[in-house]
Amino acid sequence: MRSVRVWLEKSGRAIYTSHLDLNRCMTRAVRRANIPLWYTEGFNPHPYLMFPLPLPLGQSSDGEPMDIRIETDMTDGEIFDALSRVMPEGFTVKSVGEPKDKAGDVAMAQYGITLEFPDSAQAERTAGVIRTLIDGGELTAEKTGKKGRMKVVKEIKLNDFIHRFEAGSEDCYVKISAVLSAGSTVNLNPALLLDALYKAGDFEPVYTEIRRQKLLKSDFSDFE
Amino acid sequence: MLSKELKNILLKVQKPGRYTGGELNSVVKNRADIAVRYAFCFPDTYEIGMSHLGMKILYGLVNEREDAWCERVFAPWLDMEEQMRKNNIPLYALESGDPIAGFDIIGFTLQYELCYTNVLNMLDLAGLPVRSADRKALTPIVIAGGPCVCNPEPLAPFIDLFLPGEGEEVTNDIIDLIKKHKALGSTKEEFLKDAVKIQGVYAPSFYSVEYNSDDTVKAVTPSNGAPEKVKKRIVSDLDSCYYPDKFVVPFLEVVHDRTTAELFRGCIRGCRFCQAGFLYRPIREKAAKTVEDQCRRLCDSTGYDEISLCSLSTSDYTKLFPLLNDLLEWTEKDRINIALPSLRIDNFPEELMQKISGVRRSGLTFAPEAGTQRLRDVINKNVTEEEVMSTAKEAFDGGWTAVKLYFMIGLPTETLEDVEGIAKLAQKVVDEFYHNPNKPKGKSVTVSVSASTFVPKPFTPFQWEAQDTAGVIAEKQKHLFESNTTRKVNISCHKVYTSVLEGVFARGDRRLAEVIETAWRSGCKFDGWDDVFDTEKWTQAFEKCNISPEFYASRQRSFDEVLPWDHMDYGISKNFLINENKRAHEGVTTPSCREKCSGCGTNKLNGGVCHALCKSMA
Ligand code: SF4
Repeated sequence: MRSVRVWLEKSGRAIYTSHLDLNRCMTRAVRRANIPLWYTEGFNPHPYLMFPLPLPLGQSSDGEPMDIRIETDMTDGEIFDALSRVMPEGFTVKSVGEPKDKAGDVAMAQYGITLEFPDSAQAERTAGVIRTLIDGGELTAEKTGKKGRMKVVKEIKLNDFIHRFEAGSEDCYVKISAVLSAGSTVNLNPALLLDALYKAGDFEPVYTEIRRQKLLKSDFSDFE
Repeated sequence: MLSKELKNILLKVQKPGRYTGGELNSVVKNRADIAVRYAFCFPDTYEIGMSHLGMKILYGLVNEREDAWCERVFAPWLDMEEQMRKNNIPLYALESGDPIAGFDIIGFTLQYELCYTNVLNMLDLAGLPVRSADRKALTPIVIAGGPCVCNPEPLAPFIDLFLPGEGEEVTNDIIDLIKKHKALGSTKEEFLKDAVKIQGVYAPSFYSVEYNSDDTVKAVTPSNGAPEKVKKRIVSDLDSCYYPDKFVVPFLEVVHDRTTAELFRGCIRGCRFCQAGFLYRPIREKAAKTVEDQCRRLCDSTGYDEISLCSLSTSDYTKLFPLLNDLLEWTEKDRINIALPSLRIDNFPEELMQKISGVRRSGLTFAPEAGTQRLRDVINKNVTEEEVMSTAKEAFDGGWTAVKLYFMIGLPTETLEDVEGIAKLAQKVVDEFYHNPNKPKGKSVTVSVSASTFVPKPFTPFQWEAQDTAGVIAEKQKHLFESNTTRKVNISCHKVYTSVLEGVFARGDRRLAEVIETAWRSGCKFDGWDDVFDTEKWTQAFEKCNISPEFYASRQRSFDEVLPWDHMDYGISKNFLINENKRAHEGVTTPSCREKCSGCGTNKLNGGVCHALCKSMA
């Protein structure tokens, strides 16, 4: 048995696949590729396949890590070829290799965000509004959590989770590049940040695209 | 690719994966190479439609052709419909994203009566008039198949052509014909006149219906060269018949998401309440080798880890054990489960049983259908109490603690005593558990009783019977709950009014079309969904159209009444049905087709051949 990390690009129609659905979809892909997965032992054996940091529905990605355990002496190259042949539309295998970092080492993610506006003047103006809001440091969002059995609404300060942020305009688009906290303990979904910006700045783009570009460790180096 | 407009609304609805397409094995073709565009519409949600075998077969079959492209369309859920209407997005096909109003054929499959308003709603969402007479152009031609087509009358004004029977051959005939008439520049009428020359094609607009003063049908008269009786189509040889080697694999979790193999068509049992058991006759089996090959190809192309062997009564397949042995040779190694729905487990070899997951995992289900032997004889359900008990015993010996029992309420001749019998039988199963020395230690038992409501259907021996009224059904349900004295038995019943509505449409005539349209215009849709169904709106629709649902549902018909579906020919002789009805009332059972052919007549559709007794003998 050995562990393999497969990096997948996710785009197009595939971005509407939820995390749970993605698991099933990829398990089937690995089966079609005739790569024997390692099964957990015990009463209800299931194949080992997991995503260290599930991508929210509706967002695309340059490279999503998927960890599998396999029982075969296939090389990384063979796995790459076999998987590439069976991927559904919207998924592209970028690379296959040994998992260097532990799943828990993900600390941040870098996103490219595009907001479309009816014209360039509006885009330019909004880019300015966005920069002011971020610099102001007062952005908040409500998050419902659980305290024991009770549902509680917490106000969170978003700026604590923003590590880098740039916004500029280009034609009728606002282009944002941002590094946000990511991982299983603290995680800021960029969609949540955008909603806070729309609310605070009182604007709404006609169209939005969010793409996760890479995952980073706490020292800003790439998660591998 | 999805338009920005669509992408925007996809993030505002639940389960956007229902509306994107792009699934593995979905077929995308070059529009320029295509002569006939076919929109296959399933008038329910994506999850239900994607589980349906018939759609997978016809999808693959049409897409084998180079000149045609079949795409899938499902009924958008309420949230999506709202967004589509608000943003002026017409109903589109999943593969191309093109609006279906521009297609050549729009084909619906009618699996249950309660989807009728969805058919109208989908046509409307497509931007088309719901009535055939208002769709003047040659294309899109709106066709419909599926079991409900055995009595298509309530939908007659909305659909251009109904295709009774099996779709494999007739679908190609229709595609060829529309292609020809498009090239000729024909009118819709010219096409329809040509279409009715094909066996198994019913153009409702070519038939006029006259009524008697008591509102029953007087006569149905064809015109334009349409046949007096429309004979259903069947496929004669299942081994050479098309079967897909790929299924579209959904991203979303759907109801049945697995490899499905069909073992045979038809049923040898002859349960008198079961429409499917008569509609799909005569019996035709597939060779075990064919089934195994098909399973293998499907598992390879999909990556599925489950195979479901499905047919009306799986254990009646004559080659079941050899097939299972062959399958297990590779499925175990590849970690593929085999599920056997509708299985009677009496006489099932123990070592095979151990290996089959469908039985192992989901606990045990059994369908006695009625609570007393008297009533089981009436409906010809040849299950005895001893069989139920011995199955339960086997189950408990094997470590199960949950048993599910299926019954029907409202069967002809049913008394309150029969209803009580349901609770008693469930109680006996509970007792069986506690008397069993081998029962799982320290565990308690649950017996789930599901009691659906009997709906008399066309082409069954009960097609003349009165359905219990809503009041009587409610009373019987109450009686059932009261008869149950133990908490080990959980009883669930169906909503009363939806069953009545199903009964109205199942045996309805053309006049009901107005009610369907009125109900739909007042907002009715997804009537099969309890949380959407609106009793009040339906009641108002009947009142507004001055039509009594009781006339259709709870009226006893005489054998000589002209039935609204008498011009549909499913090969079943009326005399056979009358005879079966009489035997039911005498409480006399009819042996299964394997023991003795009882002359239903459907073998005539297949040149006299019926595989009920034995394939080689036939
Ligand atoms: S032809 Fe005879 S054996 Fe075949 S289905 Fe009909 S009754 Fe049964």
